[in-house]
Amino acid sequence: MATANSRPTVLPGDEIDPSLIPQSKNKPLRLGPGLRHIPPNTILPTVAGQLITLPHKSSMWVEYNSNRYTPTASDLIIGTILRSGPDFYYVSLSPYTASATLPHLSFEGATKKTRPQLVPGSLVYARVTLANKHMDPELECASASTGKADGLGPLTGGMVFDVSLGFARRLLMGRSRQEGKVEVLELLGGDEGKLSFETAVGRNGKVWVGSENTKTVVIVGRALKETDEKGLGVEAQRKLVRRLVKETR
Amino acid sequence: MPREVEPSLNEKQFVLQALQENLRLDGREIDQYRPLELTFGDQYGVADVTLGKTRVLAKASAEVTVPYTDRPLDGIFTIATELSPMTSPAFELNRPTETEVLLSRLLEKTVRRSNALDTESLCLIAGQKCWSVRVDVHVLSHDGNLIDAACFAVVAALRHFRKPDTSMEGGVLTVYTPAEREPVPLSWLHSPFCITWSFFGDQGEIALLDATWVEEQIRVASCTISLNRHGEICQIAKLGGTPVDAVALLQCSGVALTKAKEFSTYLDGKLAEDTKKRNKGGLLAELSAENDR
Amino acid sequence: MPLDTSTYNLALLRVDGRRWNELRRINAQIRTQAAADGSSYLEMGHTKVMCVVTGPSEPGPRRGGVVGSAGGAGGGGGQSKDAEVVVNIVIAGFSSVDRKRRGRGDKRTLEMQSTVANALAASLHIHLFPHSQINVSLHVLSQDGSLLAALINAATLACVDAGIPMTDYVAACTAGSTSTYAANDESADPLLDMNHQEEQELPGLTVATMGDSDRVVALVCESRVQISRLEGMLVVGVDGCKQVREILDRVVREKGRRMIDEGTVEKGTGLNDMDVD
Repeated sequence: MATANSRPTVLPGDEIDPSLIPQSKNKPLRLGPGLRHIPPNTILPTVAGQLITLPHKSSMWVEYNSNRYTPTASDLIIGTILRSGPDFYYVSLSPYTASATLPHLSFEGATKKTRPQLVPGSLVYARVTLANKHMDPELECASASTGKADGLGPLTGGMVFDVSLGFARRLLMGRSRQEGKVEVLELLGGDEGKLSFETAVGRNGKVWVGSENTKTVVIVGRALKETDEKGLGVEAQRKLVRRLVKETR
Repeated sequence: MPREVEPSLNEKQFVLQALQENLRLDGREIDQYRPLELTFGDQYGVADVTLGKTRVLAKASAEVTVPYTDRPLDGIFTIATELSPMTSPAFELNRPTETEVLLSRLLEKTVRRSNALDTESLCLIAGQKCWSVRVDVHVLSHDGNLIDAACFAVVAALRHFRKPDTSMEGGVLTVYTPAEREPVPLSWLHSPFCITWSFFGDQGEIALLDATWVEEQIRVASCTISLNRHGEICQIAKLGGTPVDAVALLQCSGVALTKAKEFSTYLDGKLAEDTKKRNKGGLLAELSAENDR
Repeated sequence: MPLDTSTYNLALLRVDGRRWNELRRINAQIRTQAAADGSSYLEMGHTKVMCVVTGPSEPGPRRGGVVGSAGGAGGGGGQSKDAEVVVNIVIAGFSSVDRKRRGRGDKRTLEMQSTVANALAASLHIHLFPHSQINVSLHVLSQDGSLLAALINAATLACVDAGIPMTDYVAACTAGSTSTYAANDESADPLLDMNHQEEQELPGLTVATMGDSDRVVALVCESRVQISRLEGMLVVGVDGCKQVREILDRVVREKGRRMIDEGTVEKGTGLNDMDVD
């Protein structure tokens, strides 16, 4: 629905064509990451990337790739447990940054006596609950309202691979084929690869891959890394999957 | 000081398990090096080596100085290594970590103490003037196997380097600038290369070459063998770690010889290519004072 | 040439009258210092080394990454699961022929510290003492070749004296070859336990093994040698290590027997029954 020229590439400080800004009578305009509102009337991009607008939702943001993950609320991330505090686990989201806290009881069905004991070095799939620039980020592994995990929690076995942030975002998109042009996971599991594995994608640039077969995990990892590093399109991804599966068979 | 990050338990267990099934994360063979790329700079003596994601830059330079008093007939040759926060916030300037000390000791033993560079040829006037050749090694990116990459960069930089030509007339030493006379190469005796083996498993039974950063974090022992293509070992260093069978070490040194020969051929090829590129239009073109604009 | 290989070929005797496979006189004592947790004194020929071990004890201020420490990084994340072995080597200025004062940051010393620490960490059961530190202090009183080997042997003895659980003795010795690097000498003999003169002139290596086995804990070769010579030297070195291990074991048992005789210790005292016959 969005054509190429309505997704211009913007640089920090560029002026935005007013015709692109969604005008809506009832809904207030929502600005996403990468845009800054300077009262009264100016909207400025602060990062370089593609400007995306959704008129029917009256929102706009900039799609960009960066290397350092800034925690944002309701993001799904994969973190490493650093150590255990009295009430929290300290979790590292990215190296050399402040650690996030994860309460001991924030797991599905956890009570003081039956909570999961996580050793330093284990991986968890968690959601960011609180993230602002003044405080250390906070995480949860079970939704506070329903108490259900929805796939969050400790990750056992498997292997975690580092990918760029933009690639992680594309993998997490709902319609990753069209929007994100990323189909490599589907291809690996589908007709081309016929591999069986499970994945968990963290918005902080980490993808966890688990499978009973070690070779499968290695193939998936290599496919992800190559797609990310070389920026392959859908066709190239198909070829890559074919080549890797053939090589290791 | 920020601490070095460690890989998670899942990563460590997985890499070890994969190795036990003879699989490496990037699909390489046990004794396969990552793609090695060498680029020379425009200046003589600059070598940029990329080994996968590890990148090392070496620059050789020379100046005239006074020789050491206890060695009046030898020139001075030093290798300085720099592991700066550019590679990783865990490294600090001027605070040598174990990695840096071991790296500089290995380079020193491999290149300096094995007399790869003939220091006697660096002497200009006995006891008064000599060349002081200095190689600065900068590690730009660390993804494992710094030693092999750094040694290759040092050797490449030194073989590529040209020092200014000199002449002695009746006790007066004249050093010519590159514009007056063509600089001359250093007197190079042999090219040593470092091959680092990493060992894994409780008994150190799994051995592989060219470990990436993750593999380095979980290895239980490592052995660096430096040798040249004629089969002369310049040094061996297995500095502790899990004991490894002596027979296995001997096999490792055998394979190391093959790799050293491959490196040697590659380096010779690259040097020849560079000489040809600089010689475009024949030697005369190079000596002319005109520049292409 | 000091070694004078011409006479070597005649009588197959080295400068000090040894044959190719003879160790120098090894004289060792443990518990030389009663105040320390473990102490030892070792002489390999004229190379004299003293060692004092303290630990396992409280770790000092966190100095992660200091050269000369090993272990302490096991386990992921913040806490270390293993004891940290910290080695400190002081080489006395009067130890060698020319008086030479070595600074603190001397890289050769740092490298030796790291080697001894890693060699010990391979044998000591450091997983039994998490969050603690084992300090090994070595002093070199006299150098006559085989320095690293003497340091490792002395450190092993001191750790045995301190009662730190270990898998086996870490025994070390040097081995060399009478051929120079350029020659493709088929008749070159490997030499066991080199002294200073031989170390300077001939290629050699230091090898440390885990007790009686053929498993090499540390291997350091700093001279140029033909790759074909390596096997011979390594075999002779490993064999020499076995002999050294016997000697170290004898020293420890002798001390134990004497302690029982003097009544300092009762037979049967301690975790392991000392089997003294």
